[in-house]
Amino acid sequence: MSEYLFEMRDIVKEFSGVRALNGINLAVRPGECVGLCGENGAGKSTLMKVLSGVYPYGTWEGEILWDGKPLHAASVRDSEKAGIVIIHQELMLVPQLSVAENIFLGNEIRKMGGVMDYDAMYAKAESLLARLKLKGVNVAAPVSNYGGGYQQLFEIAKALAKNARLLILDEPSSSLTSSETDTLLSIIEDLKREGVACVYISHKLEEVARVCDTVTVIRDGKHILTRPMSEMTTHSIITAMVGREIENLFPKIEHHVGEVIFEVRHVTCWDVANPNRKRVDDVSFELRKGEILGIAGLVGAGRTELVSAIFGAYPGRSTAELVLEGKPIKVNSPQQAIRAGLSLVPEDRKRQGIVPLLGVGDNITLATLEHYSHAGRIDRAAELHTVETEIKRLRVKTASPELAIAGLSGGNQQKAVLTKMLLPAPKVLILDEPTRGVDVGSKFDIYTLMFELAAKGVSIIMVSSEMPEVLGVSDRVLVMGEGKLKGNFPNVGLTQEQVLAAAIDSSVDTPHAA
Amino acid sequence: MQAQQVQQLFVRYKILALLIAVAVIWTFFHVKTGGIFVTSNNLSNLFRQMAITGMLACGMVFVIISGEIDLSVGSLLGLLGGVVAILAVNHGWGTWSAIGVVLVLGLAIGAFNGFVVTRLRVPSFIVGLGGMLAFRGIVLYVTDSQTIAPVPDNLVTLGQGFVPPTLSIYIGAIIFLSMAALTIRRRMRRAKLGLHQGALWIDVVKTLVIGLFIAAFVYMMNDAEGIPIPVMILIALLAVFSYVATQTVFGRHIYAVGGNMEATRLSGVNVAGVKLAVFAIMGLMCAFAGIITVARTGSGSPSAGTGGELDAISACFIGGTSMRGGSGTVYGALIGALVMASLDSGMQLMDVDNSWQMIIKGVILVLAVWVDVLSGSNRNA
Repeated sequence: MSEYLFEMRDIVKEFSGVRALNGINLAVRPGECVGLCGENGAGKSTLMKVLSGVYPYGTWEGEILWDGKPLHAASVRDSEKAGIVIIHQELMLVPQLSVAENIFLGNEIRKMGGVMDYDAMYAKAESLLARLKLKGVNVAAPVSNYGGGYQQLFEIAKALAKNARLLILDEPSSSLTSSETDTLLSIIEDLKREGVACVYISHKLEEVARVCDTVTVIRDGKHILTRPMSEMTTHSIITAMVGREIENLFPKIEHHVGEVIFEVRHVTCWDVANPNRKRVDDVSFELRKGEILGIAGLVGAGRTELVSAIFGAYPGRSTAELVLEGKPIKVNSPQQAIRAGLSLVPEDRKRQGIVPLLGVGDNITLATLEHYSHAGRIDRAAELHTVETEIKRLRVKTASPELAIAGLSGGNQQKAVLTKMLLPAPKVLILDEPTRGVDVGSKFDIYTLMFELAAKGVSIIMVSSEMPEVLGVSDRVLVMGEGKLKGNFPNVGLTQEQVLAAAIDSSVDTPHAA
Repeated sequence: MQAQQVQQLFVRYKILALLIAVAVIWTFFHVKTGGIFVTSNNLSNLFRQMAITGMLACGMVFVIISGEIDLSVGSLLGLLGGVVAILAVNHGWGTWSAIGVVLVLGLAIGAFNGFVVTRLRVPSFIVGLGGMLAFRGIVLYVTDSQTIAPVPDNLVTLGQGFVPPTLSIYIGAIIFLSMAALTIRRRMRRAKLGLHQGALWIDVVKTLVIGLFIAAFVYMMNDAEGIPIPVMILIALLAVFSYVATQTVFGRHIYAVGGNMEATRLSGVNVAGVKLAVFAIMGLMCAFAGIITVARTGSGSPSAGTGGELDAISACFIGGTSMRGGSGTVYGALIGALVMASLDSGMQLMDVDNSWQMIIKGVILVLAVWVDVLSGSNRNA
């Protein structure tokens, strides 16, 4: 019998020829907590999907051993039956159902004929919550009566109800306050003493340091190291997470950075669902003419919310003061923003970028139809002329401009969306994750375009989770963390370690001087 | 290979499949009724019957393309028809001023529906359901549940009259010539800008086929007494709505809003404004349909238009409008209305029991949309 409860050996997972995971090893002993660390896009979530059976046995290579025996999970249900339970970053509770109903969702205690045995479930739910030292919870009341901290613990109770022996926690503290996080960590320590094993995935390295016995770092789908926590420091973890050279992917073109053209003052956004929580907290910055400003930070830092608010597209309540070329501008809708001279290429191409059923050409001209129309009538030929010119200029690969855009590759779709937002001739172009899901060739084209635009005097704000991209393209880098500005660095000799340290460090509240 | 080509042809020109469906239905009824279905008098009646559903379908197709639905149109038709009858009969208004007021009223009520949907954010299904009840209630209240008759003769002419045969021929010729002229103009404009051109013979064949259809239609109608006036109005609406859908900024925005509202909003389009206008146009179409209903029956009936929303929505879906919004055509919806009207008319001629008529129409609706879903999934493969 192996000393490990759970072992993954040489896991390889490919997506249409691209290796998302390339030889990952992960092992957990009973009662041990392993911290899994890696940058955005390192392959953590793919690994978790392999581990929890979302990707069934056979769709990846390698071996998973459970209790020393190979585990061939065909679905999430199989791995949960074995005792592996994953708790996702976004809570997966049904707010309208009661606490007990949620804890036993899909796993209900039944009486004859499929009737819910509420008495048994209430009793067991209460004993599970007692095990988590949670007092004063009415298990018959709806989950929505309780806050985020409680809900996270209900998720753990739900896992325990399934007799979990291995608990995987994916960014469990991302929606918790610090005292709630504290409770969570002490409960994990209790569970460890009871012999439950954990995999703890978090960007918050101080939490990893407190609760984990072992650390595994992955990067670019590869296993980097596995060491006892006692041998590691947060700094050495960061070095391992980043530790790569920037490949020469960036066709840097010299461009002149001019005077300040755009001032953003006091942007604050409140959460849509929870009006007391600030997603962006009083962020101010300046942008110069022809400057490429990178905004770095971890997922959930409030970067997308910040740029949405600037563009008038934030769905909840937000405030901002904007000054463009010395004149204050009022932006309450994307329509006003575009008229004022701002353009935004949104993060989620499928949901926010393309109109899938419309042709490539129709998508490209959507923001500027008025340019090709007289008294509301579209001059089709003039429109097509622009479309064909732009398609050639940006090398969008499509058989015909009339083809539905849904049929194009991600990179070509992104070029089309980019073209759409460039046609209004913006003074400030905001790009939110401009190369997400884009192939290397198209990435190069997009970077080239960005440098060309900057050289022409367009100012660019680029939100990106890819650190090499931020450092390879930007003139200056803003770092955000937990809704606040954590750093403002000129991109001269700036390292990924510095950026990541600023993003993670919760003690820094005031931005550095530029 | 050949089967695939045929399939591609149908996917590209959905209208072909629809026209074949109409031809099959007509042939079936013609044989079953012993040769009285495809006669000029019956077809003249058939088209006149379809005109009212067709008017509602014109508005409805925009509503559905924009990703919404409007269930109140049957009741609104009844209400607006009732108002025309009351103004013209009880208050002695002139026919044209009564019509003018009702058109404005229809536009305003439609805009109000749109306001509730876009600004107050009540789902359009609910707004329609509420309107369906409330508008019908108002009709019953204002008419005191009585039929209002007789309406003035010039109003009746609008519903029962004909465009004189000679004028019908001229109109047919004008439509054909202007379509040909537009095609030539488009080709010239494209040639000037050096853009890619479709093959010349395709445009020639298209124009000739359209010409043939127009000629056959005018000949058939003239063999009776000329083009019925409601049908003439519907043809004009078809032209206007097709133009708006394919040639204007507003039309493109309707498709974009229904295809992906978030992406369209982020492109700087006033999505709420587009939807509000679509609902307002729907209201205007209810006014058209209500006026013609009163004119055709010569009276304002409190039950007029009952079930009209279902006919209009069915017509759109049979005509290939997507349930989820973002795609559909005006002519498709009108051919859908023609299919529904043909089924009604044929089954009445065959003396099919009313219960069976409903069952068959229901089955055909589901079948038609299923076929559409099938061809859609093939396209994505």
